[in-house]
Amino acid sequence: MGYVKGLRCRECGRGYPKESLYVCEYCFGPLEVDYDYEGIKEKLNKEVIEYRAKNLWRYRELLPLDGEPTVGLESGFTPLIRAVNLEKALGVKELYIKDDSVNHPTLSFKDRVVAVALSKAKEFGFDTVACASTGNLANSVAAQAAIANLKRYIFIPADLELGKIVGTLIFNPILVAVEGNYDQVNRLCSEIAKRHKWAFVNINIRPYYAEGSKTFGYEIAEQLGWKAPRNIIVPCAGGSLITKIWKGLKELQNLELIDRIDTKIYAAQATGCAPIVTGIKENSDIIRPVKPNTIARSLAIGNPADGIYAFRTVKESGGWAEDVSDDEIVEAMKLLAATQGIFTETAGGVTLGVTKKLIEQGRIPKDESILICITGNGLKTQEAVTEKIGKPIKINPNIASFEENIGRERRM
Amino acid sequence: MTKKMVKLIFPQELIKEPVTFRMAKQFDVIPNIRRANVTGTVGELILELEGQDERIEEGIEYLTKLGVKVEPIVGDIIE
Repeated sequence: MGYVKGLRCRECGRGYPKESLYVCEYCFGPLEVDYDYEGIKEKLNKEVIEYRAKNLWRYRELLPLDGEPTVGLESGFTPLIRAVNLEKALGVKELYIKDDSVNHPTLSFKDRVVAVALSKAKEFGFDTVACASTGNLANSVAAQAAIANLKRYIFIPADLELGKIVGTLIFNPILVAVEGNYDQVNRLCSEIAKRHKWAFVNINIRPYYAEGSKTFGYEIAEQLGWKAPRNIIVPCAGGSLITKIWKGLKELQNLELIDRIDTKIYAAQATGCAPIVTGIKENSDIIRPVKPNTIARSLAIGNPADGIYAFRTVKESGGWAEDVSDDEIVEAMKLLAATQGIFTETAGGVTLGVTKKLIEQGRIPKDESILICITGNGLKTQEAVTEKIGKPIKINPNIASFEENIGRERRM
Repeated sequence: MTKKMVKLIFPQELIKEPVTFRMAKQFDVIPNIRRANVTGTVGELILELEGQDERIEEGIEYLTKLGVKVEPIVGDIIE
């Protein structure tokens, strides 16, 4: 049995029943899941968690299901790596990478939120799930809905190149190409969500969906031996992940699973789409929408729904924010690959690039523990680096040619 | 008649102008303010617009042309 009491408005605090609702009908604030933490405290402790299978459902009392999970049973519990080579490259003492580029089944942190969203959608009795996305979210919804035997609709703008949607189309969704731009696709989806009894994972299932991100924070703490690092750098698109990592850590503290939180949270965005970073730098709690223009497409949300909460998270933790150019993103992707053997997507380049900048600025002390959140896999965004990583050295199939082109050079 | 939830963001130079009122009058749209936050440099207004579908869209276009950013309240959909 679950521990969800209901939903609660994040702005005015009004309570709602646990249904597929997402916005407060009074103040239009977003709704969030409200738990019975006293009940959870009686059931959940370190031993219980550690005994369970290594997936995100080991924290199931802190996730918004009433029954057993049915989707995403292998998602989560991705590697947390001590990044020794990168420590040397950045001149820092203690550096970790939480690596969701190898999450199951579609190689991004979205597998966490979709696991929770689809499990909840099944619990609500939906037989159809949907989303509008061209990236990691679309991949994960299509794949996990296939596993769960749910009908699946993915909405995209019609002029999109096919290459970008192969990672979704392979899972056999109903792919709806809308003759219109992104804004028009968005608007259409919100109207469809009102008319059809479908589970739009990030519209009417959003309060439940977003809770899946907390497991990223739980795992960081557990994998570090039940403690939080001093500095965490998180990539920001809509601003939900950073907020939920912070919420996750605070829940662990309230449940006495970690002693204290002495952690600063930093927001990372691309310069071409940095509404949250700008808000933090200008100390403005009104996040001004921007028109995205960056290679970091998975972070290119110009009007972040949780921007204000990301702002508050960073402020509350005493952290800061920074942005990096497209060139810096590619350089950071190459650095991560060359030092730690991780091929991350552009978002990971943003996170590492920002980390490097914050260390150089002295915002992140070199002698404190630092954790970088890597949320997606570079194999999905190869075009971002194709022209920037050199070319193979061509030789003829004989030893002389090898020595001529390579061997001699290497011996020198 | 339809209803639409929107967020309006006003740049500094429009904070002192009654643009929402003008839009409401000109396009016969009823605005119902649910939340607001105005600082010295930027204003944010969360409201419900009620009116004829087409008139609401015209009203939104009017605001956009003046420099107000109009965003639907639906959460982040595209990634």
